Amino acid sequence: MPAVVVVHGGAWAIPDERAKQCVDGVKAAACQGLSVLRGGGSALDAVEAAVRALEDNPVFNAGHGATLNIDGEVELDAIIVDGKTLSCGAVSSVKNIANPVTLARAVMDKTSHVMLTGEGANLFAESIGVSSVPTDSLVTEYEKREWEKHKHYVTGVMENFNSKWAHDTVGAVAVDCAGNVACATSTGGIRNKMVGRVGDSPVIGCGGYADNFSGAVSCTGHGESILKVTLARLVLLHIEQGKSVAKASQLSLQHMGDRVQGAGGVVVVSPSGQWAATFTTERMAWAAAEHDVLWFGINPNERLKEKLPQ
Amino acid sequence: MLPVVVVHGGAGLVPKERSEKSTMGVCSAAQAAYLILQGGGSSMDAVVEAVTQMENNPTFNAGCGSLLNIKGEVEMDAIMMDGRTLASGAVSAVRNIANPVQLARLVMDKTSHVCLTAEGASQFARSMGVAEVPQESLITEYSRMRWKKNLAPDANPVECQMGRMGTVGAVAVDVEGNVACATSTGGLSNKMEGRVGDTPCIGSGGYADNLSGAVSTTGDGETIMKVVLARLILFHMEQGQSAEAASDLGLACLKSRVEGLGGVVTVDPRGNWAARFTTENMSWAAAQRGTLHYGLYSGEHLTRSI
Repeated sequence: MPAVVVVHGGAWAIPDERAKQCVDGVKAAACQGLSVLRGGGSALDAVEAAVRALEDNPVFNAGHGATLNIDGEVELDAIIVDGKTLSCGAVSSVKNIANPVTLARAVMDKTSHVMLTGEGANLFAESIGVSSVPTDSLVTEYEKREWEKHKHYVTGVMENFNSKWAHDTVGAVAVDCAGNVACATSTGGIRNKMVGRVGDSPVIGCGGYADNFSGAVSCTGHGESILKVTLARLVLLHIEQGKSVAKASQLSLQHMGDRVQGAGGVVVVSPSGQWAATFTTERMAWAAAEHDVLWFGINPNERLKEKLPQ
Repeated sequence: MLPVVVVHGGAGLVPKERSEKSTMGVCSAAQAAYLILQGGGSSMDAVVEAVTQMENNPTFNAGCGSLLNIKGEVEMDAIMMDGRTLASGAVSAVRNIANPVQLARLVMDKTSHVCLTAEGASQFARSMGVAEVPQESLITEYSRMRWKKNLAPDANPVECQMGRMGTVGAVAVDVEGNVACATSTGGLSNKMEGRVGDTPCIGSGGYADNLSGAVSTTGDGETIMKVVLARLILFHMEQGQSAEAASDLGLACLKSRVEGLGGVVTVDPRGNWAARFTTENMSWAAAQRGTLHYGLYSGEHLTRSI
């Protein structure tokens, strides 16, 4: 069975000066995920490793480099889903955590719950020995400047998003040699969002979904629109109806555009190793690592290829 | 066939001494919502009214009467959704407000967001002038008793199942054929602080789409999330299943795939409705064409005229 990892670094109008950093970041994360699979790790381990790499990279809006809310604070959302059991872990609006995806995994592995929010998520982190990091360590100079610039602007407005609004949520999907699929998604959310705003990322079926019977999906884009159409679940519903991963992605994103005028992107993998990276925004940085090849792109219909060292 | 409203007062095991109050509560909530619909009100107004009534009723696990978290505190989740536009509002782990469903509606109407959580939701409530209520006013003798019993090291599983009873919800179709849903809960008794269940998660605790129908769910929250139950049921309806068959298919998947039990109320845009559950009980009521339908036990379907 072919093992594959597909990652995205967010769907939005990525400016030229950030394009190369974004592409380099997703390529490195996909390789990170693939090396976990090559070492005999599960799809779940692979998506966690890939998303951790993206969270640690200050170029992306997740973990280090997250956008700030209206009060200038960092509030993070993340989810991870295991397609074998439908087990899921999520955190919303958590502060001072460097790798929310790993905390989400701990919610899945160590509690009887699926989702923890706010202060409760931080209390849980503390109880299992996840170290809290100062907010400043998660904030980049770039985000501080952007926050200042947008401080007086009404947040989350859709017209604004669909042109330029930064939404570089990160995510990964994978299938391992045993045919198990998994997904993970992590984000700092919308720049200058209201305090406590929860987007699509930590909501199961919206920011991500994984089911060994159909595949795994991680979403990015205008969070409120993704929520309204439960995008990840919708993509898999189409796959269950016999659509290909590419067709299912296109149909679902088109539906989101038609029904709630939202743009976004998805990465999808099927249990047999078919994969797709599709978006309706101007750009989405993505990379897919399978066997000895790394595929990647950032512009519509772009599909570049590199040979991977064995 | 229109208008119609269907409400539930939670799927689980309703203790005998609470069954009558529970049935009365859902019946009066359904009637209040029906009155709004008959007066030409929207399905959105109707579901919010029904859920508000049940939040205010201490019999149910929502608003006043909410079950308590591990620390003995009240943290509530709610959602509502407009099937015409797919607009939605939700709050999670919110404290010190009487009617979370009304706050969810404000999130939908007054912000560009869909979900606000915890302290941020409270801040928003204050900014909207929503009155803060003391926590004590939301706590009942019963919720405190459940909390204490569950704290005991030998707490038994049947008692625990009672402890997750009583999420409330409603679905409706108005005379214009618009569908809506709303769900509200205090969550699981003795849950971890900050635990969010299925209720405020769009697609899990509820979903509404004029193209297919509306669903509000209740039951074992963590498993409901894993199958995104409300969206799953509407998907079956999109594939041509009736409200009742789709509800049963969704609940069957919940059971077979993740060993979850639960209940749902479902409507389609033409006014066909269903109230189905795989738990011992679910108090439910529906109002349509001047008749009130209600029940609590499996297979029970009583009627009386309104």
